[in-house]
Amino acid sequence: MALGYLLKEGISGFRRAKLSMFAAIFTISISLLLLSFFTILLINANSVIEGLRNRVELEVFLGDYLSKSDTDTLQTKIVGLIGVEDVRYVSKDEAARIFQEEFGEDINKVLDFNPLPASFKVRLKDGYRTTAGAESVYVATKEMKGVEEVAYRKSLLEMLDTRAQTFLWLALGIGSFVAISAIFLVANTIRLAIYAKRKIIQTMKLIGATRTFIRIPFLLEGLVQGFIGGAIAAGVIYLAFEYLEQFVSMQLSDLVAVDREAYGIIIGVGCLLGILGSILSIRRFIGEKVVEQ
Amino acid sequence: MAIIDLQNVTVSFDNQHVLHSVNFAMKSGEFVYLVGQTGAGKSSLLRLIYVDLQPHEGRVSVAGFDAHRIKSREIPKLRRKLGVVFQDFKLLPDRDVYENVAFALYVTSTPRSEIKKKVLMALGDVGLSHKRNQMPHELSGGEQQRVVIARALVNSPSLLLADEPTGNLDPASSAEIIELLRTINVRGTAVLMATHNYELVRRYPARIVQLKDGKLLEVELRERK
Repeated sequence: MALGYLLKEGISGFRRAKLSMFAAIFTISISLLLLSFFTILLINANSVIEGLRNRVELEVFLGDYLSKSDTDTLQTKIVGLIGVEDVRYVSKDEAARIFQEEFGEDINKVLDFNPLPASFKVRLKDGYRTTAGAESVYVATKEMKGVEEVAYRKSLLEMLDTRAQTFLWLALGIGSFVAISAIFLVANTIRLAIYAKRKIIQTMKLIGATRTFIRIPFLLEGLVQGFIGGAIAAGVIYLAFEYLEQFVSMQLSDLVAVDREAYGIIIGVGCLLGILGSILSIRRFIGEKVVEQ
Repeated sequence: MAIIDLQNVTVSFDNQHVLHSVNFAMKSGEFVYLVGQTGAGKSSLLRLIYVDLQPHEGRVSVAGFDAHRIKSREIPKLRRKLGVVFQDFKLLPDRDVYENVAFALYVTSTPRSEIKKKVLMALGDVGLSHKRNQMPHELSGGEQQRVVIARALVNSPSLLLADEPTGNLDPASSAEIIELLRTINVRGTAVLMATHNYELVRRYPARIVQLKDGKLLEVELRERK
């Protein structure tokens, strides 16, 4: 097959139909930008939520009367509970030190004695950092002998459980909607461009061009459009984050993770969108009769 | 040997017969006029020949291909043996005269060195070598039709189909086109030309077949006077 001709033909579409090329590239860029920003937002929102969950721990306050060996036994029992990742012992002295760090006062001097109890800080395993998971450990530890009080941020977990779940589903729904819209938008734009070339396709068939011969330049065109569209979207995202970092005091790059590979993925998805759009669009026209009835 | 052979061919659209039990054979190197009023089914008959339409009944065989049995990937091979010329030219508007003619050779994967030679020769045959760098819209109707004929000829087809090739042309240009088609025929290419321009048929006599009420009849030139 005349490979040189097909390559030339694929590229020369840019010269021949500037407006429709521009429209297709622009559409691909916009779609990818929407998708990318949305994905970045979703990934980061999810990691913020997970970060908050990871920080949730139960504080198990112990009676002052417990001996060292009682404490050790209790710790072993708590470690053995389902859903517990690790248990850290905080002595009365350590509690006083933490108090001083947080409030700037030495509790021993204020009250002449240390009222702060020793405690276990219990961290939960991944998958148990939910209201239900925390509650089961709460109930189990509260009934243990020597345990005075158990506390955890129940309201935060409850909020995360309900609202975060709703948020994630909502985000996923909107994300899918944006993704599907992007595919349709790109396919439609390319279809309009190919529709304009319908007569040319008919003439090609009349002269005896095979379907592959007709198809290849359009696919190449789609690939190039997708690549350029993807590169523009990747460039805009890169610049946007560079620019934002100058204005946001927090190191944005710490929160928003956009790896170098992500830019490659954006360009790759662009190429895929371009080719897919071309395949979907040309399929209809290539089967048409030479003479319209 | 028959280059076209239609046996008992019936074509209908919306339950109406356009062609009804049509028999038609054309020998290699023959020149045939296909006449009939607008809507008589001339274009449908030509479409059967370049396999853009399948008969509802009967057999169509063209240049050794049986239209009934042909696989869709073989259709391009058949079409490369034919040259087709239309009333509305069907030139590619986004490329110049040279590229329009060369296009038929790109399709058949002709080597680059041969393409230039063949295109210039075909353009020479239709008298348009000097306009090879012009765009289709810069040409007159007659010139555009000659480019189409050059494109149809460049692959040295054994059969040229012309569907009202003079339909959009003034009498002088029409006469030029017919003379060109006759020259091509003299060189050995069979030509089947659909037309309703009886004046031209009278001036350049050849075998005539007429489509009327879905039937194909052989017509003697004298009868049309």
